[in-house]
Amino acid sequence: MTDDANNRYDVSRRTLMKGAGAAGLGSMAGCTDLGLGGDEGTTTLYFAQEKGPLEFDPIVLNDVPSAQISERIFQGLFTYSEGTEIVPELAAGEPEVERDGTRYIVEIKEDAEFQNGDPVTAEDAAYSLTAPVQEETENAAEVDMIDSAEAIDEKTVQFDLGFPYAAFDTTLLFNIVPKSVREEDKTAFNEEEPVGSGPFQFVEYTQEESATIEAWDDYWGEESPEVDEVVWTGIPDGTTRLTSLQNGENDIIETVPPDLYSELENSDEAEIMSSPSIGYYYLAFNCNEGPATDQRVREAVDYCFSMDEAVSNHIEPAGVRQYSPIPAAVAEQWEFPTDEWANVPHEKDIDAAMSLFEEAGVDSDYEWRIIVPPDDLREQLGVSVSNGLQEAGYDASVQRLDWGAFSDQYISGNEDDYNIYALGWSGSPDPEAFTYYLFDQEVEGVTNGTFWQNDEINGENGLIRQARETPDREQRREMYIEAINTTLEERPHLPGYALANSYGVRNYVEGFQSHPDSATIPIAQEYTTVSIGER
Amino acid sequence: MGLLRYTLWRVGQTIPVIVGIVTITFLLSNAIPGDPVRIMLGPTPSAELVEQIQAKYGLDQPLHVRYWNYISGVAQGDLGYSIHYDRPVTEVIAQRLPVTLILMVSAFAFAIATAVPLGMISAKRRNKPTDHLSRVFALVGVSTPSFWIGLVLIILLSYQLNLFPSSGMILPWADPTDVRGATNQLGVVLLSAYHLVLPTIALGTLQMAAITRIERSSMVESLHAEYVKLARAYGVSERTILRKHAFRVAQLPVITIIGLQLSSILGGAVLIETVFNINGMGRLIIQAVQANDYQLVMGTTIVFGLSFLVGVIITDISYAYIDPRVSYGER
Repeated sequence: MTDDANNRYDVSRRTLMKGAGAAGLGSMAGCTDLGLGGDEGTTTLYFAQEKGPLEFDPIVLNDVPSAQISERIFQGLFTYSEGTEIVPELAAGEPEVERDGTRYIVEIKEDAEFQNGDPVTAEDAAYSLTAPVQEETENAAEVDMIDSAEAIDEKTVQFDLGFPYAAFDTTLLFNIVPKSVREEDKTAFNEEEPVGSGPFQFVEYTQEESATIEAWDDYWGEESPEVDEVVWTGIPDGTTRLTSLQNGENDIIETVPPDLYSELENSDEAEIMSSPSIGYYYLAFNCNEGPATDQRVREAVDYCFSMDEAVSNHIEPAGVRQYSPIPAAVAEQWEFPTDEWANVPHEKDIDAAMSLFEEAGVDSDYEWRIIVPPDDLREQLGVSVSNGLQEAGYDASVQRLDWGAFSDQYISGNEDDYNIYALGWSGSPDPEAFTYYLFDQEVEGVTNGTFWQNDEINGENGLIRQARETPDREQRREMYIEAINTTLEERPHLPGYALANSYGVRNYVEGFQSHPDSATIPIAQEYTTVSIGER
Repeated sequence: MGLLRYTLWRVGQTIPVIVGIVTITFLLSNAIPGDPVRIMLGPTPSAELVEQIQAKYGLDQPLHVRYWNYISGVAQGDLGYSIHYDRPVTEVIAQRLPVTLILMVSAFAFAIATAVPLGMISAKRRNKPTDHLSRVFALVGVSTPSFWIGLVLIILLSYQLNLFPSSGMILPWADPTDVRGATNQLGVVLLSAYHLVLPTIALGTLQMAAITRIERSSMVESLHAEYVKLARAYGVSERTILRKHAFRVAQLPVITIIGLQLSSILGGAVLIETVFNINGMGRLIIQAVQANDYQLVMGTTIVFGLSFLVGVIITDISYAYIDPRVSYGER
């Protein structure tokens, strides 16, 4: 690797000269100092996001593009492994769990320090995980199970929970900020000088446009970056993003649009790296009003079409088929019986559907209303179902709604608003994130628009709530298996697919790999470090 | 009525229009379904938090109170507070407006600089191959959407030939230390122009085609006017007739069309900024709608409306300078 190989100035200048010539400005080139140059010898990684960052303070930021950058600057007590396992980062080891799962004690590594030279202390950790609730920021719901947090000593922090919350290890992924710096000026901390303990330091940014971070030379950890800086640019349009990869403006782009997959697959200069994300897309029924309140009707709809075919035709290669609400990466880690769950959905059988509809007494002139958000892939699922319903003799319309209208309607439980809706959910790598928020009766009309009732599963003392509050993992696993078995059988949801976190990566980028968590962009991690070969 | 008084009168006339724009924008924005606070806070906010945020942004007030607060704020230059960006709307717009203005000015300059000579040549060589070519070109130009031209330019000149960048914009007055690849201000200006080439062509082509058509027909008419015939009879050279006599009068309809093009160029900017990933007002209005950011939607719409009004007024006033036959004294 030579300096020249990483000197973007040469590429820009060469391109500029060609462009200037084409634009008729070539005559200027030889007669004056064009004022072009700089950056010699700097190894820069250019990364195109789907959107530019909004802000950097982990206490307030709540969008993926900001988190992708912020997580290179900040660190949590724990972090993800190469997959979705949760491993110590600032923590010296596993948390001690006491008082029936309502007290977590974490020790912080001795040498961990922030970029201003201050040590990372227990007080900083206690502050970081309570500030979102104290300040009522958008992230409050992520940490609101914490009743109190206190520093037992300089490096030991204790969290007391309001109830036994079994997925608390995912809460411990929350990034730690230096209390004194942030308290001094929160706006500056968010926008001008965020200070973290990670291997990269903030340099500059333009809101929703671009950001630059540079390697922190005195990083206390072992995973020092091999690139000097990373320039992030938000490019929402998929074609423009791909073009910026192909013409060398960017080295990595995130999310390869499905219709452009083949373009990249045939490229000699770049490749696609992808892995299923911790997300879940599904069709759901309104079990509150209308024919879908009857389990036989929901099963009949399942007979009306083939989800396998719909996913294969419309979603792949941007996503993969998923047979339960639990994303593949999580299901694998929890050793869930995914093969059994794959046998639950029916193949398309219109006769079987019609006899079930008849048995349930659904009028032949019933008009089905399917609502979908403004997303082509989910609309395709809706169309697949409506086609099947029409084959079974019903009128069915697919309404594509704006997010505002959709988010009002899908949780109303009103038959006039919807019989079926298509939606997605992404969460932490714990089954709780998918079972509680999508099915529990406590969140009906909030994040659960099915209104499906089965007290043994989603009632106050149901399995979903029990599993949420049980510290023992094996016990939780069994509860989840039973809960999901019943849920799949009674079909308030028809599971669909998981989208892939996909990246277009130039061949000279070495060491990059995709991660199931969309906010994790591995550049300098324990398991991989990105470097740049000859451009 | 002199020109100054006419100008003031025209500006005064826009006040009820502005009030209308603000009122309609306010009502339409409030009719957008979905709760911005819910979108902001995610799926599981507590009821207390929702109430507190609603109170913070005044969303808990009745519609008429909110309207009055808003319109009196606008009168004082306060366009409200953006929930999405967590800063005043005027601040967000001030950051994005120069970008769109540069793009628009550049597109208009490109359109006028190419269309006027093209139209004149076409008129001068009426019904000759040059004229036919120019007319076909103009017809294709007005019928082709700007975003499509943008995509074709990206595919050809950026993707295939790698001559121009496919995205981004650099402000020509940016500090050289903040601009990668520039060592002095000239470098910044050059890089800025370089990034502007493709979006300018994409956005300006429609205007160029429209102006070419008008320029041609107006010049044809002007070259056959009585006073031109008279000048010819007096032995004035064709060059002088073209430049001094026919040209000036022929520009009146051209100015009208330029003024009217302002609304289409603003609409085009929304698409072009998206295609070329330029963070201007066009992108901002889309982001505002997607985030259900009421105040920002209203603010951007008002600025778009005002820009159009300013364009119309400038067009009207320009008449007096161009054509001495236009007089405002009798009004």
